[in-house]
Amino acid sequence: MNILVVLRMIPDSAGELQLAEDGRSIDREWLDFQLNDFDDHALEEAILLKEACGAKVTAVAVGEGANRVLQMAAARGAEEVVALQSEEDAMISSREIAASIAAMARAKSADLVLCGVQSTEDVFGQLAPYVGALLDWPHVSGTNRIVANGAVLRVTQERGAGVAVTYELATPAVLGVQTASKAPRYVSGSKLREASKTPIGRATPELSGFERSAEIITLRLPVQGGSGENLGGNAETVADRLITILAAKGLARN
Amino acid sequence: MKLIACTEGHSGKIEAFSLEMIAAARSLAQADDEVVAFFAGRDAEGASACLGAADRLIVACSTRLDVIPAEAYTLLLRDVVTAESPGLVLVPYSANGLDVAADIAARTGWPLISYVNEIKRHGESLTIVAQMYGGKILAECEVRLPAVLMINPGAFAAAVPDPIAAVNVQTIDAEPVLTSGKVKMVAIDMPDYADVDLTAADRIVCVGRGIGDEASIDLARNLATMLGAEIAGSRPVVDNGWLPKLRQVGKSGQKVKPKLYLALGVSGAPEHLEGMSQAELIIAVNTDPKAPIFNVAHYGATCDLFDLVANLSDRLRAGSGR
Repeated sequence: MNILVVLRMIPDSAGELQLAEDGRSIDREWLDFQLNDFDDHALEEAILLKEACGAKVTAVAVGEGANRVLQMAAARGAEEVVALQSEEDAMISSREIAASIAAMARAKSADLVLCGVQSTEDVFGQLAPYVGALLDWPHVSGTNRIVANGAVLRVTQERGAGVAVTYELATPAVLGVQTASKAPRYVSGSKLREASKTPIGRATPELSGFERSAEIITLRLPVQGGSGENLGGNAETVADRLITILAAKGLARN
Repeated sequence: MKLIACTEGHSGKIEAFSLEMIAAARSLAQADDEVVAFFAGRDAEGASACLGAADRLIVACSTRLDVIPAEAYTLLLRDVVTAESPGLVLVPYSANGLDVAADIAARTGWPLISYVNEIKRHGESLTIVAQMYGGKILAECEVRLPAVLMINPGAFAAAVPDPIAAVNVQTIDAEPVLTSGKVKMVAIDMPDYADVDLTAADRIVCVGRGIGDEASIDLARNLATMLGAEIAGSRPVVDNGWLPKLRQVGKSGQKVKPKLYLALGVSGAPEHLEGMSQAELIIAVNTDPKAPIFNVAHYGATCDLFDLVANLSDRLRAGSGR
């Protein structure tokens, strides 16, 4: 089985995001970029499938810091790693990279395309269903377990509130991974050093099969803080205050 | 113009966000417009009994399957879209909607905006406010119709449940599509609440990514015990295997409504807020003062969560000894 797994580098939204001067983008100069969490799980699922059934895994990365994450993918077990060129300082629009991923899936005779179920930049839609539609392959999002038996996949999908549904489908297919069957593995420094010798292929983007969904007129920060009370940043003071609040509501003794 | 509101349900229950999709469509409909609700599933009667805020209801009926795979839902909806030529298709941001919205947009070539919170209509175009970067940024976009929108649950107040006149209900047989589809459903696992039922808990201590590692969860667990609370986690914590899935709060976990929700190191992604924002008392602790969790918290603190847990635990321990 040939598996193509997509790794998107996105701004670390755990940190502070500042708006750029044009008001239509975020200031990326001092931002940390990291692998989209869901794509990390997609990579893990790909490697687990490889270990279970002998698949070949090709990792394609897009965005700032792609080389670094591709070395990590190689260290985790990807046989081939490819950097898809992307516009610098621009958000990764899944709608716009879908054509490139679909073309690579065809060129590499992929049986399975895996990517994270979503990314924080998916304002114009999610990657897996776009790629599935372009290839006319079945697609399932929100998966948390994939088992391959030859060309037949058993895929479990989270439906919310603890409900899980298992589907059966034949390859070729596209899956949006929510969670891998096991947590993404740790990669040792020695493995990373060894993997740094893996040649990184380059791919140029295909013209998107879609018009842009929309132009972003403006970005803004949401009104912060809501109407709640700020208790500050001193743990002792906060603890005193919380005990009082909880006690007043009968939720703890003071 | 026709506006199609996609609705969902299973196990004899219509999802609450279905009525929100109809309300959103209704809020955009002009005098000559028609709001058409689309439902696929087994509970056609349930849909007819509560989706009356729509002008018309199209039910793709299966007597066999309670949960319709997104592939089949999409194929059925594609036919409806072809037949009705709507100007707008509203899809809930749900497990099903994730596959449906982009597929319909791809096949029609229409624009798609996801994570939609607000919509204003100006004739044949819309101004949309959508969330990005886990709710830390709001994007205002202008979109020309026809278009597909994926709407955040909770973004619109739900329409009033009301029966729809039988004459306005059109039924489609979903079985041929379900039979011929490439994605076959083989099992449904319902949650086993024997260990914990967060939906019934009236006090919850929830840990997020800020807890750092699995070992640190014990500190929060001890605090939860002292508060008589259940320990819970946000998605990253559960994905890392630090807490079991049944203890996950959020869109793909449990939707909870406790008397106390103490969020420790939880950033408050929209998917998490969807699961807990109805709690009676929300206390959020996060060193990032711009964390979206503070937008729903009644009390917020920016101190180190470990310092706070230690201080709170000391005080609760002292209090219990009196």
